[in-house]
Amino acid sequence: MRSFEYSAPGSLREALEVMEQHAPDFKLLAGGTDLLVDLKHSLNGPTLVMDLGGVAELKGIEETPSGLRIGAMVTHTEIQQSPLIAKHAPAMIAAAATIGAVQTRNMGTIGGNLVTCVPSLDSGPVLVALDAQVTVAGVDGRRVLAITEFFVGPRQTALAPDELLVDILIPTPMLGRATAFRKFGLRKGQALALVNAAASIAVNDGRIIEARIALGAVAPTVIRATDGERVITGKSTDDVGALREAAAVAVTEARPIDDFRASAAYRRELIAVGTFRVLEEALALATSS
Amino acid sequence: MHQIEMTVNGQVMRAEVPAETTLLSVLREAWGLTGSKLGCDVGDCGACTVLVDGLSVNACLLLAVQVDGQEVLTIEGIGGFDYLHPIQAAFERLSSIQCGFCAPGIVISAKALIDKNPHPTEQEIREALAGNLCRCTGYTKIIEGIAEACRIPAGTDGSA
Repeated sequence: MRSFEYSAPGSLREALEVMEQHAPDFKLLAGGTDLLVDLKHSLNGPTLVMDLGGVAELKGIEETPSGLRIGAMVTHTEIQQSPLIAKHAPAMIAAAATIGAVQTRNMGTIGGNLVTCVPSLDSGPVLVALDAQVTVAGVDGRRVLAITEFFVGPRQTALAPDELLVDILIPTPMLGRATAFRKFGLRKGQALALVNAAASIAVNDGRIIEARIALGAVAPTVIRATDGERVITGKSTDDVGALREAAAVAVTEARPIDDFRASAAYRRELIAVGTFRVLEEALALATSS
Repeated sequence: MHQIEMTVNGQVMRAEVPAETTLLSVLREAWGLTGSKLGCDVGDCGACTVLVDGLSVNACLLLAVQVDGQEVLTIEGIGGFDYLHPIQAAFERLSSIQCGFCAPGIVISAKALIDKNPHPTEQEIREALAGNLCRCTGYTKIIEGIAEACRIPAGTDGSA
């Protein structure tokens, strides 16, 4: 690795001040599972690596009046073991369990996963299905964005060079919302997603009143399949045909690519199957509760 | 340069390292603990797996400075020639190891599993080993070895 300076601020304020002084020539170190690999392979590394491990404001999972707050430095293992997430957003646990392997999940953080922002990021689809918001901070203050605004493109987020991701909020109306997640990879462990799918459904009086479909690894960022959502909104909870139709429409909203892992044609098949399955699972959860 | 101090296998260890030094290289090169292996160097193979504050991590993906003040357990702290951990003893009995390069990391991952879950199912063992690659054995004897180790009462020397 090329040499760099290391700083480990003890507070968010201190971190933001260091960032303002050094922007854009620094890298933030969260879990390190992506950053260390990049640093080892890069020819022109940063002059400063700032370790966020000591910043208490970025940690913890808690219920607030506006929803469930998850600090950006919460690890995937902490998500898997959190009673609050198990109660309010269990699909996040299903998604976290598919990330890397035990070691990766012990080190890697949800914030790091979102900020790295690869199209196949496994934390993304469930958060989109749950209408999550993110808080970002700079020295001048904070901004709250919808998660879909935060994702801009491959490895590109809405963060300014002197901003960092503070936390993720699942808004109160979405807590306990019936949600399902499926990942298709070439293996069960340590695999990047070929396609990720998540869906959330609310029902009332035998009808679907709200549905959100999110797809990962099929476009430059995680996308919402809003046309597919419209197909099932208002439909009877017994209408399995509508779920199939929504899945078929979702395929047309994605822009999958051919790469060495899978062809675009195969990914389209997976989108249809995955979308149908998450809708079916979310609907079963919604109607059983 | 950064002064670091951590407890490694119960012993306080100190070193002076540049920021870009990984935990793995300080363990191997400064302190001579070469049981943890450098395999892929990108967190895929698990040959460098150690426990930091009880959690299994890839020592190749941690900076030594990040681990300052923490507690590290490596394969050298788990067993040796005069005492085998039950997992190591079971691996020996069942010939779970061929070339052995992956074995230290696998023993650490298995220990992390059975410390929390003393009676794992085969599926749980497989999931716990997803981050440890073995190119020799096909995993069958490793999984059988871990299952066997779980049948040995805790605290017993498994080498008997």
